[in-house]
Amino acid sequence: MKSISLYVDLDSPLHRLDPLTKISYTLVFMLIPFLIPLKSITLICLGLTLSLLWLGRVIKHIVPIISFSLFLLFTIFLIQGLFHPANEKVAFSILGLTFYQEGLEYALGLSLRFINLLCCTSIIILATKPSDLIQSLVRRGLSPRFGYVMSSVLQIIPQMSNTTQVILDAQKSRGMETEGNLFVRAKAYIPLLAPLVMSSLVSANDRSLALEVRAFNAQRKRTFLSEEKVTFTALIFRFLIFFSFISSIVWRLKQ
Amino acid sequence: MERKNVWSLNFSTISLALIPVSVGINYVGKLFAATLKLPLWLDSIGTILAAMLAGPWIGAISGLINNVIYGITMDAVSAIYGITSAAIGITVGWLAYKGWLKNWWRTVGLGIIVALVSTIVSTPINIKFWGGQTGNIWGDALFATLMAKKASLFLASFLDELLVDLPDKIAVVLIAYIIHQTLPNRLTVLFSNNKTETL
Repeated sequence: MKSISLYVDLDSPLHRLDPLTKISYTLVFMLIPFLIPLKSITLICLGLTLSLLWLGRVIKHIVPIISFSLFLLFTIFLIQGLFHPANEKVAFSILGLTFYQEGLEYALGLSLRFINLLCCTSIIILATKPSDLIQSLVRRGLSPRFGYVMSSVLQIIPQMSNTTQVILDAQKSRGMETEGNLFVRAKAYIPLLAPLVMSSLVSANDRSLALEVRAFNAQRKRTFLSEEKVTFTALIFRFLIFFSFISSIVWRLKQ
Repeated sequence: MERKNVWSLNFSTISLALIPVSVGINYVGKLFAATLKLPLWLDSIGTILAAMLAGPWIGAISGLINNVIYGITMDAVSAIYGITSAAIGITVGWLAYKGWLKNWWRTVGLGIIVALVSTIVSTPINIKFWGGQTGNIWGDALFATLMAKKASLFLASFLDELLVDLPDKIAVVLIAYIIHQTLPNRLTVLFSNNKTETL
């Protein structure tokens, strides 16, 4: 069943790293540019993250992710360059519009932070299997009931997308118009969504019965089918991540 | 069956099974809106429906998990807005219990309240991450205009977000309300943890 995730299934040092280490990396190195708002620090974080993505052989998959947001970043430069509240020094002028230095610098800082954010989260999105991530959290104390809830989302969405085509065809064959002016199209919305909601609520009931039959609410400690290998390198890596995090906090507190 | 409080944290299995279903409904709602080329996102119908059926906590968790799962599989930016979805879930769950779904006018009122809550929670996030913009053409155009007139950053960003959220959230609440009304009682009572059916 096709999944909704952008996960790229390869075997690389990054993929083999356990999910908790990757999640700690992502959270910490996403946070550091906010704690230390210097462009140099953001660039270091970005460089580090990009090298990890290169190590994971997923770096080319980041291009569509970033280019998706390029237009937004362009508008940020435009709007901040023209209208940022602290604008004073003129940078340049074209077509009668004056762009100021403060606004452009602010936009640059913002954009670098955002691209860093996209790259850090791509370590999770591109190189971590969602089910592994959820299992890792359950191993460490997340209630297995919530682990189920998160895992089943990943399975339910492709299932429901398939049903949408069936419902679309069924309603069209009963004379529902899906093309035309806005009013015609809007009228089609509820006849499409309502059958889907009904059938999925009934399936929720079926699911819950199936779960209860399989000891979903059992209070006993659960065992896992697969093992999670945490290598020594991973532990060193985690220590370095923790160290960077503490240093950033200390730096911030000294400001 | 005893009456439980709407704020109880004791979730029944079926309420938990509702959560992925509501994320699915969010996803499909967005898909249908895109297929029909409607000018609204309509991507929170599932969250609001879950809140109407199973109360504020399930609504909030549905919203949060919706954004978190999108965040770890597709679009990292969504994860941050999980707080907004959770806030919408709590608002609808609480006000639905308080009787805000009695008639059409109150439902529209609920839509407006949800839009305000969503905007108030999203605006600080918008300001911190992208200087106040939202990525929506019309909203950002309004933002630019207000910033050119030296309006306060918070106000400009607030109105940017509200311009997009108000029609969307009112529509979403109305659609969820209509669908909720068409659901048979034997189905809705399964999820509710404070209503009992009597013969």
